[in-house]
Amino acid sequence: MNIAVYTLSALLVPFLLIGFVQKAKAQLQNRVGASVLQPFFNIFKLFGKNQIISEDSSGLFRAGILVNFCCFAYLIWSVPWLSFSPAISSVDIFLFVYLLATARFFSILSALDTGSPFGAFAGSREATLSFLVEPAMILSLVAPSILTGSSSLERIFSFTHQVSSQNPIVWIFAGISLFLVALTDLSRMPVDDPTTHLELTMVHEAMTIEASGRNLALSEIGYAFKLAMFFGLSVQCLLHGIAFCLPSDQWILLAMSIAGIFSLGLLLALLETVLVKLKWTKCPDFIAYSLTMGLFACIAALGVRA
Amino acid sequence: MISFSPFMFSFLQAIILASAIMAILMVGTGQIRSNIMFYSLQTLCLALSACFCAAIEHELKHYIVALAIFFVKTIGLSTFLFWITKRIGAAKDLGLYLPLPIAMHLSVVLLVFAQILSNQLPHLNHLQPLAIGGTAGISLILTGILFMLTRRLAISQVLGFLTMENGIFLFALTQSSGMPLFIEMGIFLDVFVAVMISGLIIFKIKHSFEHIDVTLLTSLRD
Repeated sequence: MNIAVYTLSALLVPFLLIGFVQKAKAQLQNRVGASVLQPFFNIFKLFGKNQIISEDSSGLFRAGILVNFCCFAYLIWSVPWLSFSPAISSVDIFLFVYLLATARFFSILSALDTGSPFGAFAGSREATLSFLVEPAMILSLVAPSILTGSSSLERIFSFTHQVSSQNPIVWIFAGISLFLVALTDLSRMPVDDPTTHLELTMVHEAMTIEASGRNLALSEIGYAFKLAMFFGLSVQCLLHGIAFCLPSDQWILLAMSIAGIFSLGLLLALLETVLVKLKWTKCPDFIAYSLTMGLFACIAALGVRA
Repeated sequence: MISFSPFMFSFLQAIILASAIMAILMVGTGQIRSNIMFYSLQTLCLALSACFCAAIEHELKHYIVALAIFFVKTIGLSTFLFWITKRIGAAKDLGLYLPLPIAMHLSVVLLVFAQILSNQLPHLNHLQPLAIGGTAGISLILTGILFMLTRRLAISQVLGFLTMENGIFLFALTQSSGMPLFIEMGIFLDVFVAVMISGLIIFKIKHSFEHIDVTLLTSLRD
């Protein structure tokens, strides 16, 4: 049952989410926009295309993209980003964080391997952003872990806690912190503009600039999984924050989680419409806010436990 | 007569904490406009918590105080500060001594310190759930001091002072049953006049020195 739910949602939700964000953004900017199903068509089209690999690149380029994809494919089946307990249940918070770091390391390696100047500077930017954002990510996952007394993601995000770990303040701050982390880590708007392809604004796009055909499709799928996973975890935190007034039927909770993911998508579209991209040197100031939220969550969790 | 459930009490605690958190978030940005926005939200939380306290303790004076906070501070002072900022053309404060994100993280540490400090205090109020008001009040005072210390512009000094004043008010409101109405109103008048005068002084400084950077005002000139 869990495997079926996670497989079905992993195949549908991430791509629909990307399509939904693009559509909502277009509507907010008075454009018609592509269909919500467009990401599916893009992926199919990319799988049918020829791939061109630079003659200067080694096997590392392709291997890096594969490792990146495999990490996210493993995580999407083993992280409780929906209200069900995950299909493969052995991931704790540190394995989660370091699998993400492994995926990032290999995508940076494959960006460096082709020797294109774009790939190199995008890799350097991605590394900078990731080490700035990692403390915030760890703190926002550690806070619920302190509250529930377990480091396994499945135990943290299961809906069968005793009343003492239903502290709204901790969960809501952790959720906000994870959302801000997601904005930075997925190189969305205040940090990076995903729609333009100027050299000044690219982080994620420049890393995949040398990939084409199947390779590009794999890294796009990895990105979609990562987006759904982060938004899903953040929604789970927020749902736990209001757990005292939620029904206990798990199908209703599943529907609420998916609705929550799409409403965060709507919020993202709204943010990307009204915000402008920050200057690169101002990004640490923005990331500091997610770290502060994580600190609040941790302090509140320690206060509750004490 | 409103009966208060535990849920309402935790909602009140959340609002009281929110005012301290708004002050901490205010430290993190150098944009004067967002600073004033955070100050405005912080006083809105303060007015709401005064309202709740009035409902809990059945005291009319707290309602009056809440209304006064809303109209004088949340709307009045914020609009006035926005107007000054626009007139002077000050957009952002670069900060002093500490980078702004570090100052924000330091003020989170000060929040913990405030929690430890307020745990040592005897509870003057009979309402145990309001004890968190002591933490929030001390944290607001410390954050205000930190804000004044790490800022460069005169208008930021005014904002830091106002934050400290909010802290004193919140502490008095939650730890005792509030100050008498006359004293409360007197403080409001003082704060209002102080901000008006400091606004005038900022204009004057801008007029005679062509900037409002307080670090450059320490050396004497003819």
